[in-house]
Amino acid sequence: MDLTLFGELAINGAMTGLMYSLVAMGIVLIYKSSAVPNLAQGAMTMLGGYVVLAIAGGFGAPLWVAIPLALATMFLVGVGIERVALRRLAGRPIIMILMMTLGLDIFVRATSMTIWGGTNRPMQLGISDTPLFLGPLLLNRTYVVGAVVAIALFVLFLLFFRTRMGIVLRAISDDYTASWSVGISVERGVALSWALSSVVATTAGVLWGSVQGVDQSLALLLLKGVAVAVLGGLDSIGGAILAGLLLGIFEGVASGYLDPLVGGGSRDLVIAMTLILTILIRPHGLFGRHDIERI
Amino acid sequence: MQTAPLPSPAATAAPSPAATAAPVLSLNNVEVIYDHVSLAIKGVSIEVPQGGMVALLGANGAGKSTTLKSISGLLRAERGLVTRGEVHFMGHNIDALAPQRRVKLGIAQVLEGRRVFEHLTPDENLIAASAVRGSRQDMARNKDRVYAYFPRLHERRTAQSGYLSGGEQQMLAIGRALMTQPKLLMLDEPSLGLAPFLVAEIFDIVRRINKEEGLSVLLVEQNAIAALEVVSHGYLMERGRVVMHDSAEAMKQNPDIQEFYLGGAKGHEFRDVKHYRRRKRWLT
Ligand SMILES: Nc1ncnc2c1ncn2[C@@H]1O[C@H](COP(=O)(O)OP(=O)(O)OP(=O)(O)O)[C@@H](O)[C@H]1O
Ligand SMILES: [Mg+2]
Repeated sequence: MDLTLFGELAINGAMTGLMYSLVAMGIVLIYKSSAVPNLAQGAMTMLGGYVVLAIAGGFGAPLWVAIPLALATMFLVGVGIERVALRRLAGRPIIMILMMTLGLDIFVRATSMTIWGGTNRPMQLGISDTPLFLGPLLLNRTYVVGAVVAIALFVLFLLFFRTRMGIVLRAISDDYTASWSVGISVERGVALSWALSSVVATTAGVLWGSVQGVDQSLALLLLKGVAVAVLGGLDSIGGAILAGLLLGIFEGVASGYLDPLVGGGSRDLVIAMTLILTILIRPHGLFGRHDIERI
Repeated sequence: MQTAPLPSPAATAAPSPAATAAPVLSLNNVEVIYDHVSLAIKGVSIEVPQGGMVALLGANGAGKSTTLKSISGLLRAERGLVTRGEVHFMGHNIDALAPQRRVKLGIAQVLEGRRVFEHLTPDENLIAASAVRGSRQDMARNKDRVYAYFPRLHERRTAQSGYLSGGEQQMLAIGRALMTQPKLLMLDEPSLGLAPFLVAEIFDIVRRINKEEGLSVLLVEQNAIAALEVVSHGYLMERGRVVMHDSAEAMKQNPDIQEFYLGGAKGHEFRDVKHYRRRKRWLT
């Protein structure tokens, strides 16, 4: 077995996996603060990418200006989603809320298709194309940046969920009614979680956009994000990071060896198997909370 | 049988020193409808005197919880609506206020079934409940106060709340409500599923808080024996209506109460109640 090839597949897989973690973290963020599994996270990632390009293109702003503006815009979009789509659903069965996020996903994709069409638009972050050498291994610089951003966000959210505001959000996801009963503004908490998640989505959109350009296919990152989030445990930020690493490495190595044999396409198979097996064998994921059952 | 209005005579079980004439809470002919069709309570009028302790008794489905939710504003989350009557708190009509505004005014409801934040520690439960009481100093002071009333919670403050015993969870639920610095504390069946000595312990603490801080208490119970020991007077609800209002002493002597709620009953109604209670205990 070629160790260099294996190492390269593994380490690039790990980097890719951490970029999946970016999408997964957005899902976890919302789940951890309002117990809603967000199926629109992929579409929000794509929208984040488009918004950056629209601001850069529309106002001729350089990216380092456009990106912060887009983050702020998407923050407001998140707040708007709670106000328009979710507030009336607070306390309703989770299945209705899940369907609503699916509706949002379709809505965002259809709308952006109408506005921006199907062409792939490049996102030039100015990160050099020449690979980074780690001994004999070649690394893609954009992925390295993505991995660093993912870990930085992980640390930030870890700290955030220990603050008073973070504790309030976790309380909301535990019990809406009990939260109301002690004066927590559940609506504002949910809005904040969607806003933060939209910001994370935009970050993911920028990084993935610079890897593969911005087009509709960014929305498909939802599948990777869901697989990683479920594997890590839907309410565990750390789980999203570790599961991203694991899944990325596994996917990279497996497809690296399998694709030449079967002629491509084994990446999605790895993702699908991970999702299915996790739900069958360990539904709360690696680090997710168990539902507490006392007798 | 409606008896004379309050204040009740000093001979009652738990005279509250701070009790004065102006009620902290008054409901006037309140009617609640769920889902636009289901009439849950009708014409309910009750009063809680300033610094007093009042019980709201009744069997399953009588409308006790609905009455509390009409006061705390939690009805809306369950698609319930006050369609008639008024709720006044410290002189203000609060019917239009969102739940968090009412908490800010000083109304705290401890929910039926305790409903602690299971995945948070007791300490985090208290912190989460301090959202409406601004500063960090307030929070620290309130936490110290809660831990002083419930030393057991302090011992278990870093455990996961979902794994606390039923009694500890009830203490946490009460402590969490105290974090909001209420003027009126409403407890919904705190004795549910707890051993008698624990019920006595918890009621004692509630009475202490009532005495020491002048906190008014509205206690919803099916366990009439325990409740009538600590309150000064009570209301009895049946099928959405208040059917009796008297001092605790008088209620304890009342044959109807004795028959149905103090355990001396025969006939199918009491069996229903008992059966339901057992089921509820299993569910908690
Ligand atoms: N969310 C709801 N939607 C529709 N009807 C409801 C709802 N909650 C309560 N009800 C109905 O309102 C009536 C009063 O219920 P409530 O919960 O207030 O009774 P309770 O006295 O608290 O009973 P328990 O001792 O069982 O808690 C019941 O007939 C009940 O079926
Ligand atoms: Mg009830």
